Amino acid sequence: MGPETFETVVAAHHPEIHRYLRRLTARASEADDLSQETFLRAYRAFRELPEDANVRAWLFAIATNLFRNHVRSEKRRSTFHAAVLATRSEAAGAGPEGETVYRETRTVIEEVVDALPLKQRTAFVLRKIHELDYETIARTLDCSADSARAHVFQALRKIRHSLNGHPASEASKGEITP
Amino acid sequence: MNAKHPRCAAIEADLVATATGEAGPAAAHRVEEHVERCGPCREDFGRYRAIEGMVGSLRATVSDDRHACERLTVRLGDLRRRRLAYGVFPSPLGSLLIARTEDGVSLVQYLGPEGDVRRSLLGRRPDLDAIEDSLAVEGFYRELLDYLEGRRARLEWPLDLRLARSDFHRGVLRATAAIPYGAVCSYAGIACEVGKPTASRAVAQALRWNPLPIVVPCHRVVGTSGALVGYAGDKVDLKRRLLALEGVMRADGARIPRSTMYVSLPRERCYCLPTCSWIPTAEHPHRFFFFGSRERAEAAGLEPCEDCRPDLHPLAS
Repeated sequence: MGPETFETVVAAHHPEIHRYLRRLTARASEADDLSQETFLRAYRAFRELPEDANVRAWLFAIATNLFRNHVRSEKRRSTFHAAVLATRSEAAGAGPEGETVYRETRTVIEEVVDALPLKQRTAFVLRKIHELDYETIARTLDCSADSARAHVFQALRKIRHSLNGHPASEASKGEITP
Repeated sequence: MNAKHPRCAAIEADLVATATGEAGPAAAHRVEEHVERCGPCREDFGRYRAIEGMVGSLRATVSDDRHACERLTVRLGDLRRRRLAYGVFPSPLGSLLIARTEDGVSLVQYLGPEGDVRRSLLGRRPDLDAIEDSLAVEGFYRELLDYLEGRRARLEWPLDLRLARSDFHRGVLRATAAIPYGAVCSYAGIACEVGKPTASRAVAQALRWNPLPIVVPCHRVVGTSGALVGYAGDKVDLKRRLLALEGVMRADGARIPRSTMYVSLPRERCYCLPTCSWIPTAEHPHRFFFFGSRERAEAAGLEPCEDCRPDLHPLAS
């Protein structure tokens, strides 16, 4: 496999991996560094990758591992959560009148997601934002598909409870039929 | 958090899965039956549906960063330029390592009998991004083998001299690469070629660190007296072997018999007898290429001199 092939991989997957990391990290610069490191590592290992490998899943796994290591080292510096909250409240600026509730709810969801334990958070983002299947998420997080499913379930449960009494949540009561 | 009815608690996972579109038909059916009878779970179901919709909208909230991708492309380009693909192959001279970059062959190294790459230049230069990829260099290996077994006289490879230690060294390597198959030149001659006529010792040093032995034929550079002098440290035997292969000297010879060799100058189109009348007038006494035979001189594209006519008066072999 030549360098051209890897350039195709970059073109096809870098935007999504960058979005993924951008969602997980507090600062854009972190997402930049981590996505760059993801692809530099992938470049080095690319030749060893079997031809039939799922490149997208493989890249998500590298990115997730890097992110987890990054969080561990960030936690040691204990600036991580403070930074997350700061960024999110900045990002939550006012929207058009009709959308305010909607946007607020979304902000609450984002905050809850950011505060989730690492495995729940990555499982949730991989499943709900990037729509990876549970088998792939399981391999990425080094757990079983059932635990991956359980992580996502727990994440949804926490979001649901955090919205108790929130206008968006109240507004939806009874509107939706099974 | 209020305690749930055991039945509601038992179905909660299925309820979430159904509301977020992940449940199988059997689970969805169970959930449907349950929420028809259970008000709180019906509300829950609605909230999970709302959350699923909201989460879907999160997918679009992070925009692509073109600059991040551009920066990555630059880094990858840099990495690719530093990358060397190498292979280690058996040869009549022992294990040989051949490495190339995207620009050309950059390293040929004799490895010890154990063929240990860690003891090669690659092992000592962690800044090089070296990967084993025999296929990338196998074509060069085949040609090198043909050369070592006397089936090929030219190795016309794209060369990448980045592993040479300085621009002076690169200049020496280029001048050396111009010595034809079957000819020799002196260190002083190469020093003249690079414009530093007094730098013979520096030329010898440059060739000692030649990253491309055989391909850049430093074995064709000998002492002014015709002595073989050095080769790759202590491998003078190897030098003799390569020169014998090219027909310059006998395999058991100690020095190059220059007085009985044909002579030419770099960039000249003819070759002469060593007694040709213009030779004493040459601008520098050491610039000559010496050929062991007329065949080799003519194979290098040279014609017999019209004054001394080496074709009519060949030297005794």
